[in-house]
Amino acid sequence: MKRRDEVLVGVLITFALIVGIGGTLWLARKGFGSSYPLHTRFTWGAGLKQGQPVLLAGVEVGTITEIDFNQQGWLDVTMDIEKARRVPEGTTATVAQVSFFGDKAIALTPLRPTTQFYAPDDTIPAGRATPSIDEIMFRVDTLSRGVADVLQSVQLEFVKGGGLADLRHTVGSANRLVVQLSGIAAEQSRGLTATMTNLRRTMSAVDSAQIDSTVRSIQATTANMVVLTTGLRETTGRLDTLLTKLSSSEGTAGKLLNDPGLYNDTRALLTDTRTTFAQMDSLLADLRKNPKKYINLKIF
Amino acid sequence: MGLVIFRNISRGTLGAFGQLGRRVLFTREIARAFGEPRTYLPLTMQQMRNIGVDSIPLAGLVAAFIGAVSAFQTRYQLFPGVPLSTVGWIVRQMIILELGPLLTALVLTGRVGARMTAEIGTMRVTEQIDALETLSYDPVAYLIVPRFLAALVMLPVLTVVANTVGIMAGLAVSALAAGVPVDDYLAGLRLTFIPFQVIYSLIKATLFGCAISLVCSYEGFITEAGAEGVGRSTARAVVITSVLILMLDALIALFLAPFLQ
Repeated sequence: MKRRDEVLVGVLITFALIVGIGGTLWLARKGFGSSYPLHTRFTWGAGLKQGQPVLLAGVEVGTITEIDFNQQGWLDVTMDIEKARRVPEGTTATVAQVSFFGDKAIALTPLRPTTQFYAPDDTIPAGRATPSIDEIMFRVDTLSRGVADVLQSVQLEFVKGGGLADLRHTVGSANRLVVQLSGIAAEQSRGLTATMTNLRRTMSAVDSAQIDSTVRSIQATTANMVVLTTGLRETTGRLDTLLTKLSSSEGTAGKLLNDPGLYNDTRALLTDTRTTFAQMDSLLADLRKNPKKYINLKIF
Repeated sequence: MGLVIFRNISRGTLGAFGQLGRRVLFTREIARAFGEPRTYLPLTMQQMRNIGVDSIPLAGLVAAFIGAVSAFQTRYQLFPGVPLSTVGWIVRQMIILELGPLLTALVLTGRVGARMTAEIGTMRVTEQIDALETLSYDPVAYLIVPRFLAALVMLPVLTVVANTVGIMAGLAVSALAAGVPVDDYLAGLRLTFIPFQVIYSLIKATLFGCAISLVCSYEGFITEAGAEGVGRSTARAVVITSVLILMLDALIALFLAPFLQ
């Protein structure tokens, strides 16, 4: 009996030890496969806990084993990754939400497929975090506040400020205007119809022979105009040539027009002429006054 | 009238202090009796068999039902959007952290503690303990220490068994009756698990084992007044132990739960 007790107790304790230790390891390490550590670092407030999953491109590959609170504003996180899973270099780590209730996981996102992998104890850089529920709720709150403000303004302007009544009045006026415009359009339509009828009647009354003769006259006139235009163009060309010669001091007229010396001489001549005329005026005046001074007529 | 009330309060207070002091002295006696291993070691294995091995069916049955009901209830309380792995997570937290050690201890209080008190109480009222003293046996080393050691060792062992059975029963019910995929349940079991949760469970079980063996042994050891006294001691031992277990549970949660985060 005593021997049997010892065996039974021994079996029970051994079973409990195996189940207790084995089960704990199985739960903590997600199985009995070997693993290797990787590290990453997040800012405070990431909401991480030991035991949360680590996802590589959406596939669970390990767990968070340790979180150290760094006084400089960081959380140093150690992850245990299954040995069969290798994390490509260039991968970034972010804190992701895995459910609507705020459960978190570390999401490892590879940049591109590569043959280079992180070695055990390497540190994976942290990427840009996805917005949390709090942030989303904050934005929703801000948006709803904005919508509430807009609604309040609308209520103030349209309901309390009489804007709605104005709007109704405007719509009524617009309706009346549309009715008036419809009347005018109908009237115009009638007038246009009558005009078109008259036009058709006139068109039918026009003699096609007369039109033909008129068109021929117009054609002849146009031809004459063409000849006239050609003549004018030639005349203009000649005038242009003449003006070019004049401006380039070519020929007598050009020299006359462009010689400053001639101009100065002419001015001096005019001045001299004026002086001469003045002298002649004074001479004539003096002659009238004292004729005998100049005319000494002796007949006898 | 006032004097009577004062006298009753004084008696009650003194009685409470007296009870506490007698239990502390009894614990000191147990500690002293640890110096006589030749007396208690041969009997310890038999008590471990009584307390541990023979209690497996009852503890396992209770744990299985608790695990199954927890899984079933959790599954049908989930509203749309909550992942099914929550079932495994909640069952694990409930069984390992609370229900596994607590219900095992309460069940053993009824099965083992009552038996302990009745055995020792009967020996007391039939003067077998006096006979042991006459034969120069230390009754504490002979009767109490083996039971104390057996409870101290076997409660954690039974708790491990109960936790395992409870979680497995939850898995079976989830998969077979509640439509929770096995992978989801296992993912929930592993979610945010830390080994300290198991240590926490074992700490509870160890302290509950101490409480059961100390209280029930003491109540049996001080039994008086024949068969009626044995019955009274047994009932009192079960009540005190149950209340003490619940108080210990709350105190352990108060002091150790922060380390579970």
